[in-house]
Amino acid sequence: MMKAALDPVTLATPFFIATVILEIVLGRFGKLKARYETKDTAVSLVMGLVSSAAGLLTAGASFAAAVWIYQHRLFTIPMTAVWAWVLVFLLEDLTYYWFHRLSHERRFWWAAHVNHHSSQHYNLSTALRQTWTGGVAGTWALWLPLSLLGFPPAMVAIEKGISLVYQYWIHTEAIGRLPAPVEAVFNTPSHHRVHHARNPRYLDRNYAGILIVWDKMFGSFQPELDEEACRYGLVRNLGTFNVLRVAFHEWIGIAQDILRQPRHTLGWLFGPPGWSPDGSRDTSAKLKAEWAARQAVAPAPEREAA
Amino acid sequence: MTAEGGPRRFAAVTAAYPIQFAVSAAAVGLMVALAAWATRGRGAPPLDEAAARAWLADEFPGQTVEALWLADDGRGGVARSGDWALVLSRMGDGYAARRLPWSQALAAEPRNGRLTLRLADVAAPKAVLAMAAWPPRAVAG
Repeated sequence: MMKAALDPVTLATPFFIATVILEIVLGRFGKLKARYETKDTAVSLVMGLVSSAAGLLTAGASFAAAVWIYQHRLFTIPMTAVWAWVLVFLLEDLTYYWFHRLSHERRFWWAAHVNHHSSQHYNLSTALRQTWTGGVAGTWALWLPLSLLGFPPAMVAIEKGISLVYQYWIHTEAIGRLPAPVEAVFNTPSHHRVHHARNPRYLDRNYAGILIVWDKMFGSFQPELDEEACRYGLVRNLGTFNVLRVAFHEWIGIAQDILRQPRHTLGWLFGPPGWSPDGSRDTSAKLKAEWAARQAVAPAPEREAA
Repeated sequence: MTAEGGPRRFAAVTAAYPIQFAVSAAAVGLMVALAAWATRGRGAPPLDEAAARAWLADEFPGQTVEALWLADDGRGGVARSGDWALVLSRMGDGYAARRLPWSQALAAEPRNGRLTLRLADVAAPKAVLAMAAWPPRAVAG
């Protein structure tokens, strides 16, 4: 078990609990917009609880890898310098963007990330619906170049924790749109609602962690539109609240596909989610293209949100 | 590497984790109980035909619903669209939707007033619908 001396997520846990309680209670009395469902909430919170334990299983290995890389660093960057924290903030957030994009656009990493998107609700408990298999999927390796550059691994770990804590509060329908300068620069509840939406227009958009500017730079930005309310969840929503199925269904799906058609193993593993050799399944790109074609015929929104 | 604080810090974190986990687990119980209280009596209404068609239009855009049969308790339904059966089944206050070959849906037999449709999907293994009469008389002939 290896943790940085200052772990922002651990420090923020009482805040997470207090704000979920607040959102449930205020939502119950109609003081803010919040939709909860008991089993959905239970799944989200149990996923989060077990995720913290599952993360420990691989945390040692990933931290040891970072330490080893750091021993071969190109520069020595001091943890005490303000410029170093500014720089690590920017580079960590950029790394997060590409980690997150990879986690949506390639099935192997989507298998670890899909559970975070599996709720049909969007509230603070959804933020805690975290992966059990992220460490095994190995995406932590994407942060190793920061240690190679010379950022101390603990500094990177703290910055990752800050990013995770930041992303907690944006999982809510209680906050509408923030002032334009904030929406222009930062990832906000509005931008992240789009990210969790399953409407074809909104699929695979807004991968940002803290700064939304990466999406604008790399062409994946989509603002939330008044005329199209977000519908949350997966393209094909789960038909079970069994947490084991929530955690592992995509991994099992990959295994089943490979066993059925082993010669397409690379495609099943690293194709986009929904890829199939004969194109009979739905990728985000296909769903978006079909939606665009329908829009060309009937441009009005197909249906108000449920 | 140092900000770890050495073996003593490591031991302290290791010892504290079970306590932290236990407290978090208790908090999870509290939050779930609160959610149950907050949503009591506020479940989703039973599906009517219009709502079911709207869900199906969302879930299967471009597929024409030729006929629709709702579950007796309004917690789902089956629609026919050509050679496909489009299935809706309640998940919390929402729905999970899948399609399966119509012939397969037609062959399913209700038991004790419940129709179980195998969906061949690890993420939604089956839909259990309250349907005492299946297949529909109009279809079964």
